[in-house]
Amino acid sequence: MPAVTSPSFVVASPTRRYVSRTFFFMAIYALLNGAAIFGVFDAWIGTPTGWVLALAVALPIAGQLWALLRLIVDSDEYMRVLWAKRVVLSAGIVMVACTAWGFGETYAGAPSMRTWLVFPLFWVVSAVVWPFVRSSR
Amino acid sequence: MKNRLRALRAEVGWTQAQLAERLAVSRQAVNALEVEKHDPSLDLAYRISVVFDRPIEDIFENPHRQQSQR
Repeated sequence: MPAVTSPSFVVASPTRRYVSRTFFFMAIYALLNGAAIFGVFDAWIGTPTGWVLALAVALPIAGQLWALLRLIVDSDEYMRVLWAKRVVLSAGIVMVACTAWGFGETYAGAPSMRTWLVFPLFWVVSAVVWPFVRSSR
Repeated sequence: MKNRLRALRAEVGWTQAQLAERLAVSRQAVNALEVEKHDPSLDLAYRISVVFDRPIEDIFENPHRQQSQR
């Protein structure tokens, strides 16, 4: 039996922290959009003040991306590579798809896409792509 | 990278989770090492070497040594 020294610290779970942060930021995102849908901000919509609401809804997205970056930084070396590959792959697919759609609007008369769909689309693509990325190579 | 990690872990009777805790990595990382889906950094290789009290080349096959012997 080799002499083994247990680490003097407990391995924290970056995934658990990421999930908590995701719930926090997405709750704000959902609350603001829900309030807007139910008319709380009706006086702002269609006016320059509406930009305050637009930016307020976008801020939790920035928070979510920060949480994702923290997940990558805080993970061990294997999971770090895995998360980075997954994010780059998902973002790349979304960029290609949105670029194609944008040019479809210009050249093929495709219906105009709401640009806020980019973020939900990123997560839909992620859900499909991430389970297939299992190697750090 | 070919390695004897699973055999060594079995010798001492640890689960992947127990080895992961000793190495301060995730269980997924231990599994990825065992199924050769992850090549460890030098730092992790040294940590594994300490945990099993063996030189790195007793645990990980050195592919460059094989190439130079051909």
